[in-house]
Amino acid sequence: MKKKLTVLFLMLMMLAGFSTLSFAQENATITVWCWDPNFNIYAMEKAADIYKDINPNVTVDVQEVAWEDIQTRLSTSLSANQTKDLPDIVLMQDNALIKNVSSFPDAFYDLSDSGINFDKFADFKVELTTVDGRNYGVPFDNGAAINAMRVDVLEEAGYTIDDFTDITWKEFIEKGSKVREKTGKPLLSAIAGESDLLMVMLQSTGNWLFDSNGEPYITENEALKEVIRVYQELLKKKILVEVNDWDQYISSFQSGTVAGTMNGAWIIGSIVPVEEQAGDWRITNIPRFGSIEGATNYSSQGGSSWMVMASSKNPELAADFLNQTFAGSKELYETILPSSGALATYLPAGDSEVYNEPHPYFGGQKIYSDITDFASRVPRVKYGIYNYEARDAVSTAITQIMQGQNIMDALNEAQSTVEFQMW
Amino acid sequence: MRKEKIFRASKYLFLISISFLSLFPLLWMFIAATNKSVDVLAGTLFPGTNLVENFKTLTANTNLYRAMWNSFKYAAVTTLASLLVSSLAGYGFEIYHDRGKDFLMNILLLSMMVPFAVIMVPLYMLFGNLGLLNTTAGFALPTVSTAFLIFLFRQSSRNFPHEVIEASRLDGLTEVGIFFRMFIPIMRSTYAAAAVITFMNAWNNYLWPLIIMQKESARTMPLLISNLTAGYTIDYGVLMLAVGISILPTLIIFLALQKNFAEGVTGSAK
Amino acid sequence: MIHTTIEKIKSYKNGFSINTKHKLIGWFFVIPGALLIFSFYFYPIIRAFILSLQGGVGNNLRFAGLFNYKRLLQDGLFKQSMFNVFIYLILQVPIMLSLALILAGILNDRTLKFRSFFRTAIFVPCATSLVSYAIIFRSMFALDGFINTILMNLNILAEPINWLGGPWTARLLIVIGLTWRWTGYNMIFYLAGLQNIDPAIYEAAKIDGASAFDRLTKITIPILKPIILLTTIMSTNGTLQIFDETQNLTSGGPANATLSVSQYIYRLSFEYVPRFGYAAAIAFVVFIIVAVLSFMQLKVGDER
Repeated sequence: MKKKLTVLFLMLMMLAGFSTLSFAQENATITVWCWDPNFNIYAMEKAADIYKDINPNVTVDVQEVAWEDIQTRLSTSLSANQTKDLPDIVLMQDNALIKNVSSFPDAFYDLSDSGINFDKFADFKVELTTVDGRNYGVPFDNGAAINAMRVDVLEEAGYTIDDFTDITWKEFIEKGSKVREKTGKPLLSAIAGESDLLMVMLQSTGNWLFDSNGEPYITENEALKEVIRVYQELLKKKILVEVNDWDQYISSFQSGTVAGTMNGAWIIGSIVPVEEQAGDWRITNIPRFGSIEGATNYSSQGGSSWMVMASSKNPELAADFLNQTFAGSKELYETILPSSGALATYLPAGDSEVYNEPHPYFGGQKIYSDITDFASRVPRVKYGIYNYEARDAVSTAITQIMQGQNIMDALNEAQSTVEFQMW
Repeated sequence: MRKEKIFRASKYLFLISISFLSLFPLLWMFIAATNKSVDVLAGTLFPGTNLVENFKTLTANTNLYRAMWNSFKYAAVTTLASLLVSSLAGYGFEIYHDRGKDFLMNILLLSMMVPFAVIMVPLYMLFGNLGLLNTTAGFALPTVSTAFLIFLFRQSSRNFPHEVIEASRLDGLTEVGIFFRMFIPIMRSTYAAAAVITFMNAWNNYLWPLIIMQKESARTMPLLISNLTAGYTIDYGVLMLAVGISILPTLIIFLALQKNFAEGVTGSAK
Repeated sequence: MIHTTIEKIKSYKNGFSINTKHKLIGWFFVIPGALLIFSFYFYPIIRAFILSLQGGVGNNLRFAGLFNYKRLLQDGLFKQSMFNVFIYLILQVPIMLSLALILAGILNDRTLKFRSFFRTAIFVPCATSLVSYAIIFRSMFALDGFINTILMNLNILAEPINWLGGPWTARLLIVIGLTWRWTGYNMIFYLAGLQNIDPAIYEAAKIDGASAFDRLTKITIPILKPIILLTTIMSTNGTLQIFDETQNLTSGGPANATLSVSQYIYRLSFEYVPRFGYAAAIAFVVFIIVAVLSFMQLKVGDER
């Protein structure tokens, strides 16, 4: 009798043990913070669907949080050492990634040994998500720079999109002047006081605001000076117009005042809603700096990557989720592309049929495979820990130069501002 | 009399032009809410036909009703609690003022002068330790008692007729009784003004709810609007609709209470 | 006549006295509010002060003494932002408060038609979301915007002004934006305060032949003095800590000409490599300046 009871007791114990085990598994939830329902959130939800087939016990809870809000929460929670409410995965702006990793060294999970194959992503993206040789992010959003142009306007001046492909800035200015003359339309617009376009131009030369030792590289940076010179010339010849803010920037090409734009590939999302212009747009690569050695026709602007928080209860699980979806599922990229235009930097996706579909808005151009191709050629640069400080300082310098200050004086001031902020 | 007429006419002209300047962005916003994003950016000034479509997009992409309810709940709790606590204190500081209380009031005023961004991290740690993250109390507590409101009630109490207090004491009312039965009804105009302002501030509060309410289910309207501006492609029609909806409660409360602080309730005090 | 009425108001105030028991009861009224402020403002402020004595990045902080305070004396961006907010303060607060006072005076007139409409209209800006008003403001002041078009059609301008591009025109824009948004807000307090004035005083003054200006300076302002003091302190404080307007209208540009101190603190905490200690030190300097200004205003304005 006693024996029987003991056996029964043991069996109950085991049952309880098993049930708690499976209970724990059922309960696994991966929380994700990211922004933009049509793009990142949509992609994440599709990834969750795919992972559901691989590991049905895991639920993915995707929460919409704007980028600035993610940064504020991360900084506050991490510096207060209260990480309980942080998610398992965050989407991180590439511009801010190194800064966050080096400011909060233990906060992000090191993905180097997680089994993710980083060779499958565009080189420049992997570089941006690597800190001290360790991989901290799974590259996602493709920020490869494109030059989007209205071919109907170009035609009036006797040009086609091919005349703007693989060219130098010198040629761009010549042809742009002619377009301006014939049609009265500039080819570009940019927001005054912001450095986005200049940074696209700078990265295409393979240079950045910091040298390989992470020291500010502004006063001595010949590439930067050439970039500023070209920018000024574009403005002077009215091929480029400056506007005051983002809304006016978008409106400048949506309304047709400006016949093109240069930005990260994600800008396509703001081009296509204008139905009347369907068929008039094409994309190509950006001009290169003929006078700078190693300069290319490729650059990037404003991409983002997935990171796993070290405070996650299940960092391995979160990493596995990313590995099986964003770093390993061609199917995922094929699913998200058609309805969201969410372009990835996952290179194997570039060969897939979906990526080779002609896009009607762009006159049947296979824009997605083109952009994936651009992405693979973007020069590798390190944005650096003090990226935002340097970008702000250079933006200030450029505004001063436009107001008539001497280039060297303005750059010297920017250099010393950044040096002052690095302590 | 001619001079008087010109004076009156110029007064109306002045008020009309100021009202136009004040209302224009609001009108533009409601017009924008009925248009497609592309037309909004093109600067249209005419009502469009996209209102229903914008509303569908808004409710499909966001949890509008929950955010409205959350904002309303937090703002209402904050307003009621802070009117009570702050007016009690403001009344106490003025009616029973002595050197000690005047000094304390000056100290409390200092609390108004520190940028919130700086106390945010310590405050967040404190609330974390108190277990108040993601709670209504956590949302409301830092603004239940504000130096500004206490100061407002203290300054307003200066016009509270003290003979009312003397008379009530003779009638046998307790000090607390005087506050609730005499002061609150007589000072209706100040309460109404304070309620509008407190509600509006709580409703629009951004930074504190952002960090204290990290659960998605606790999202408020300002955070919802922030999300609408965060996409790579912003839908301005939908954005303006959300913004328009989010200011309605403040406007309604203003309209409901404005008679109280602007038309006076003379007679009761005099 | 006016004077005798005011004297009467003053006299019953001065005649009022309180005894020790009431003083004690008074403490029970003020303690809940005071305790909450001590816990949720002063305690974090002390913590923030300790933070301001620490150097380092992110959550890796160590004691640095007064280093942060010494450093900010050499910080060009800090000095620039300080300069900017004082410009706003000097230009904007007097303009806005006078305008609010005048409007409250006009709208308090019971014979005025459509009072309620005007009141609502003037209040609306502070309830309107910054998102929409920033978009409109920037497009109105754009190079080919509404304002330039009007000024050029009226032949006031020969060339369009790049409002957001010049340092002083951009600052002016911030001042206009602030006034636009906050005048109605301050007006509410004045209107509420005016309800405590017996309309008979105004009637009497009118019969005595006092002009509108006299009524404003001799009756309205003296009686509203406690509230004017409140709004002055509040606006001084608000302007020195301005964030929303400079962030949304100009993003601190051109070339930091409109950057505010709070914006700089925000950048140091959330955009740049996070240095909470240094940000706290800057905030403390602002705190001391605002406190000194406010107590000067209190000394001048708060006699009973």
